[in-house]
Amino acid sequence: MPEIEGSPGSSMHGVTGREPVLAFSVASPMVPTDNTAKFKLPVDSEHKAKVFKLFSLANPHMRTFHLSWLSFFTTFVSTFAAAPLVPIIRDNLNLTKSDIGNAGVASVSGSIFSRLVMGAVCDLLGPRYGCAFLIMLSAPTVFCMSFVENASGYIAVRFMIGFSLATFVSCQYWMSTMFNGKIIGLVNGTAAGWGNMGGGATQLLMPVLFEIIKKAGATPFTAWRIAFFVPGWLNLIMGILVLTLGQDLPDGNLGALQKKGDVAKDKFGKVLWYAVTNYRTWIFVLLYGYSMGVELTIDNVIAEYFYDRFDLKLHLAGIIAATFGMANIVARPFGGFTSDFMAKRFGMRGRLWNLWLLQTAGGIFCLCLGLVNSLPLAITFMILFSIGAQAACGATFGIIPFISRRSLGIISGMTGAGGNFGSGLTQLVFFANASFSTAKGLSYMGIMIICCTLPVSLVHFPQWGSMFLPPSNDGVKGSEEHYYVSEWTEEEKLKGMHQGSLKFAENSRSERGGKVASVPTPPNVTPNHV
Amino acid sequence: MKSFVLKISLILFFLSKTTKGDVLFSSLPRSLFVVASAMEGQVLKAGEDDITVTFGLNQTLTNQTDGSYKKAKVKLCYAPVSQVDRKWRKTNDNLKKDKTCQFTIYNKPYERNVKGFKWNIEKDLPTATYFVRSYVYNDADEEIAYGQTTNGKKSDNLFKIQGISGRHVSIDIASVCFSVFALLSLFGFFFIEKRQSKVKS
Repeated sequence: MPEIEGSPGSSMHGVTGREPVLAFSVASPMVPTDNTAKFKLPVDSEHKAKVFKLFSLANPHMRTFHLSWLSFFTTFVSTFAAAPLVPIIRDNLNLTKSDIGNAGVASVSGSIFSRLVMGAVCDLLGPRYGCAFLIMLSAPTVFCMSFVENASGYIAVRFMIGFSLATFVSCQYWMSTMFNGKIIGLVNGTAAGWGNMGGGATQLLMPVLFEIIKKAGATPFTAWRIAFFVPGWLNLIMGILVLTLGQDLPDGNLGALQKKGDVAKDKFGKVLWYAVTNYRTWIFVLLYGYSMGVELTIDNVIAEYFYDRFDLKLHLAGIIAATFGMANIVARPFGGFTSDFMAKRFGMRGRLWNLWLLQTAGGIFCLCLGLVNSLPLAITFMILFSIGAQAACGATFGIIPFISRRSLGIISGMTGAGGNFGSGLTQLVFFANASFSTAKGLSYMGIMIICCTLPVSLVHFPQWGSMFLPPSNDGVKGSEEHYYVSEWTEEEKLKGMHQGSLKFAENSRSERGGKVASVPTPPNVTPNHV
Repeated sequence: MKSFVLKISLILFFLSKTTKGDVLFSSLPRSLFVVASAMEGQVLKAGEDDITVTFGLNQTLTNQTDGSYKKAKVKLCYAPVSQVDRKWRKTNDNLKKDKTCQFTIYNKPYERNVKGFKWNIEKDLPTATYFVRSYVYNDADEEIAYGQTTNGKKSDNLFKIQGISGRHVSIDIASVCFSVFALLSLFGFFFIEKRQSKVKS
């Protein structure tokens, strides 16, 4: 039984190997348009959109895009809402540096677990309910901030709010049900980048709210509590919008559709096995911890850093901190773009070098950020650091689709969780104890980024090579087919379950780079050889 | 363009390094006396209690001239126990960088003896252990002498202030209401849709 493309049972499905990240649309000869379908956008045979029209709200495709990235954005706002207000909160709750650091760790730790579980939740309930459940259940946790009176309450509430970052998974999953595989790279990259911007927007929003509420007459220790109602309302509003305006699939909602056809699913145990036994998975789990991970860490510490080190007013520190997170609007897609650009000429080796260069540059600028004493230089290095780290995030997901075809969903989920784990670990080691100042912590984090990016040189694809080694000369072992089909056992191949991987292998020949023309797959002939 | 940016960066870098002969706390004579109404170990409540301070030139010490004393400030300062693991309250000998005393409760032209001015403890004061210190300034607004209620080690005659929690019943109620609304609307939607799909099939 061939695997049904786009079935809700495969998280992140649709992120195939070939499409460049910045493809805006798929031309008709490549993917035939279904002319019988009555949607505002041209769709393929599964009714997934072939075109990405950013400023449209066309139902269901573009509407889903906007609901999805806005939900993810909202959870970032809620998770990091406390960070720019820490100078006030620490006096109200009598927090020590360890308490603040531990709360930062807690805020990113919850979603390590929830991101891993979210894939299964989307399979069971569909991405619409997955997203809505998470956002609506985390709204009370945001409102709980008004009750907090001491360090343990603060840490507990930030931990609970942090679970909501798993909307990353529902967001990407939902996009892959609505958009054709050839443009899914751009769609997912944009949605992820714009969602991450929430971490920057909150640094701007919360201090401004705080000042307004203070001017309206509240004392500081009450004003920050009232300010927290706004992220809570955002959660509520987005949850209701998702429930009322969203739908799981282009043709309707999951429950109704599951009754119609059968959804051919892969075995979870097998998919997990192939993800876990591929060493490249673990290298990228580590790497993402030092691109996305440090981004989350900085979202937590940077406003307080500027407030304390340079004696800035709260809202000014917030504005500067916001520029870090807001850079995501272009920096993350930029990383994907450079990855594709390098791949055109140098193939996968180009992508790996691109990732190493961007992430190491981020590390160097982070090191400098902690060392400088002047405000203009600190801001400059922070912006350069943000571009490096966020572009590295984009570049990472330019490579991940190629690690495995069968286990793409789990590997993406593990990588995402690795980002949060890296953030928690970094905050624990460098920012939660009194041994060194935040400035030193930043510098050490920069050095750690540089060191932990080195393992990317160990990632070797037999068919494409690695940073320092060329591809294998062996005719069989050096082929894309061999790499991707080796994830299936003989019995599975007999059942034809590997057909998707074969097609993928064919398309991925572009990762050889140079002037190798990729052989187009004839549309109705699938190779039967093993 | 590149060399212009480089020059500007270098200028800014060097400007940040220049100091105008910053005043060091260790160089100041303790020529003032300060007495506060708060006793050792007493707990005062922010927003309710007040502190009465009497301070001035210490007449018992010889060779005291206060001709250059132009302005006087009295500040509330953190005791060492409230500075532990809190670098934003750190004591630094360079008074420009010192963060020990963050609350100014008196700021007026210098008088040799100020008897018993009262200060209401404001609601934005955090819960911590404090002492009272006064500084006098010259024309150039630099500190030239000080006095404090505690000893040199800052271990004596410290008092506590209990800050407000910032919580209000109205905020708590609003919080609960919105949370309940979130849960009701989520599960309401879920069950209504489930029922509708059962009716349809």
